[in-house]
Amino acid sequence: MSKVTSATSGCRLAASWLVGVGMLVATTAHGQTVTVDSIPGTLVRFELVHVPGGAVRLPGQTDSVAVKSFWVGRTEVLWDAYDAFTLSRKPSPRYSPAGADAVAGPSKPYGNPDYGFGHRGFPVISVTRAAAEAFCAWLSAVTGKRYRLPTDAEWQRAADLAATASPPVPIDEFAWHAGNANGTTRPGGSRGADRLGTSDLFGNVAEWVTTGDGQLVVRGGSWRDPIEQVGPASRRKQQSSWNERDPQIPKSNWWLSDGPFVGFRIVREP
Amino acid sequence: MTNFFDPNRRNFVKASVGAAAALSRAKPAAALPWASSATLRIGLIGCGGRGTGAAHDCLRGNEGVRLVAIGDIFADRVASCRENLAKVAAEDPAIAAKISLDEGHTFVGFDAYQRVIDSGVDVVILATAPGFRPRHLEAAIASGKHVFMEKPVAVDPTGVRSVMASADLAQKKGLAIVAGTQRRHDPAYRATIERIRQGAIGEVVGGQVYWNQGGLWHAARKPEWSDMEWQIRNWLYFAWLSGDHVVEQHIHNLDVANWVMGGHPVKAVGTGGRQWRTGPEFGHIFDHFSVHLEYPNGGRVASMCRQIDGCEDLVAERFQGTKGATDPSGSITGVSPFTYQGAKPNPYLQEHIDLIASIRAGTPLNEGRQVAESTLTAIMVREAAYTGQMISWADLVNSPQDLTPPGVGQLGPLAVPPVPMPGRTKVDRRFGEG
Repeated sequence: MSKVTSATSGCRLAASWLVGVGMLVATTAHGQTVTVDSIPGTLVRFELVHVPGGAVRLPGQTDSVAVKSFWVGRTEVLWDAYDAFTLSRKPSPRYSPAGADAVAGPSKPYGNPDYGFGHRGFPVISVTRAAAEAFCAWLSAVTGKRYRLPTDAEWQRAADLAATASPPVPIDEFAWHAGNANGTTRPGGSRGADRLGTSDLFGNVAEWVTTGDGQLVVRGGSWRDPIEQVGPASRRKQQSSWNERDPQIPKSNWWLSDGPFVGFRIVREP
Repeated sequence: MTNFFDPNRRNFVKASVGAAAALSRAKPAAALPWASSATLRIGLIGCGGRGTGAAHDCLRGNEGVRLVAIGDIFADRVASCRENLAKVAAEDPAIAAKISLDEGHTFVGFDAYQRVIDSGVDVVILATAPGFRPRHLEAAIASGKHVFMEKPVAVDPTGVRSVMASADLAQKKGLAIVAGTQRRHDPAYRATIERIRQGAIGEVVGGQVYWNQGGLWHAARKPEWSDMEWQIRNWLYFAWLSGDHVVEQHIHNLDVANWVMGGHPVKAVGTGGRQWRTGPEFGHIFDHFSVHLEYPNGGRVASMCRQIDGCEDLVAERFQGTKGATDPSGSITGVSPFTYQGAKPNPYLQEHIDLIASIRAGTPLNEGRQVAESTLTAIMVREAAYTGQMISWADLVNSPQDLTPPGVGQLGPLAVPPVPMPGRTKVDRRFGEG
């Protein structure tokens, strides 16, 4: 995460430079605070953007829910961080009736779950929600901080702030979607920042969230979706087609054989 | 994208994609009892995750089929297979209606395969470790059963010759053999390679095939396991069981190479080694291979495979011709550009649909020789690296190499064969010889 791409905005340049001199907080162009965390024993760093609390209404709902403030990953989780998780643990069996757990790491995939789209600097794909949650549990354990997946409402809060602009900014300016991604994932943050100071909330990869009723839901849309299906209202439940080609029974707890558009973003509790 | 992770898949369709030109079909057999709507009884031999998945694919892909017998060397595998199928059935009444398993039709032991075959089935799914495949296929064809068999179908030339003989016998008997080289049932590959074979990239002069990924699973040894049981439960890491990862996994890409080149290679030379995965839990196989194959027209195909963590992964096939180039999973560039945009059914499902449809039509598919040749191609790559010598097809296909250990029918002591050493290892070797 220390690499600064040409698409990086001025605020992130500042943040990256400050990391270099040991300061871990900066502000985005729109006033949100950015902090930098790292994974001990590795060179992996990642940025988190502060999201102030507020009320949100989920797609299709009439009632608002209150969301407390939290930190959200500036980009989706990249392979760099996920590989640190994978390489630090004993691999799990491909399937265990107990599900994915963070004591062991991901099971060994048969094939390449990154599809050859790109690895270093690219968002994690093909992961089940259980795998994403196991990553968060592991990250919390090795850092002593509290990381987890965003709730549906937290993701919505970040998305509302990211998309709010007057005059409105076309989503195309900060989203990788089927019309511009050319059939693959793109490096995390390479499309530029939204109004919250995060990147890729909309498009690139769809992001796992947790829901009150246990449903498996991704938000935001992905590189595979047309632009009209990418944005703050994008919300999809997992389909059986997402692991259709896993040729084994039972199917993997860790990998979605047909989920090259499914990744995640972390939140950190204050 | 050529592995089972497929980014472009669309809704699968059940329509048969028909037989590839390269396939042979058995002569129509007269008055097949199952050519009508009669139920085809399915037996599963090898109850691991893939075998269970293959049985599931057969059941969900077809009507008029019923799983009636299963068998495995180990009782816990039979039990977990039943349990996992019961879970699937609980969620899917259509699958539940196609499973009739009782205690009298679940078999355990080295002879479980024969007992499944003898239990009144019409079709058997062969999904044990590959080293057992030639014997299981021979028994199935001898008993008049149609076969779905996972790849690879042998681990040594002796086994390949046996599979070829069984395939020929199946042809005479009007029995179907479909193999788990599922790219052959993927319409994107089929449409692309059909164009290549018709000259869309001119003469194919070369290519590159890859299966580079990290390491795979292994099962920690339990004190009560004999050497034989430990090796079979960790079959990936013993050449007599898996053929090495180049045969077990890279065969998919080498099968595509033979398909594109229009036949098998004539020579192989290359290198490989065991550099990273060196612990005793990983048996004696290599963790990387890089071998060049020469085809009858002089075309060269570079074959590379690796199972080492933390490296760049790549699973792909590419070929170049005098008039263009191709990724045979769906695109051609050059004078006749092509991008596959049709339906993308799940090939793991499609292979079972095609198998059953061919049986019902009385024109059974027979992929036996084709997959035997692809298996021997992968063995050729392995032997080029293991021995350090130039390997010719003509010599290899007749080699007496036989990796089957003595006493394979019972659990007991079994030494781990030595790690092959280029310059010393001979092609014509028996189990345990370096």
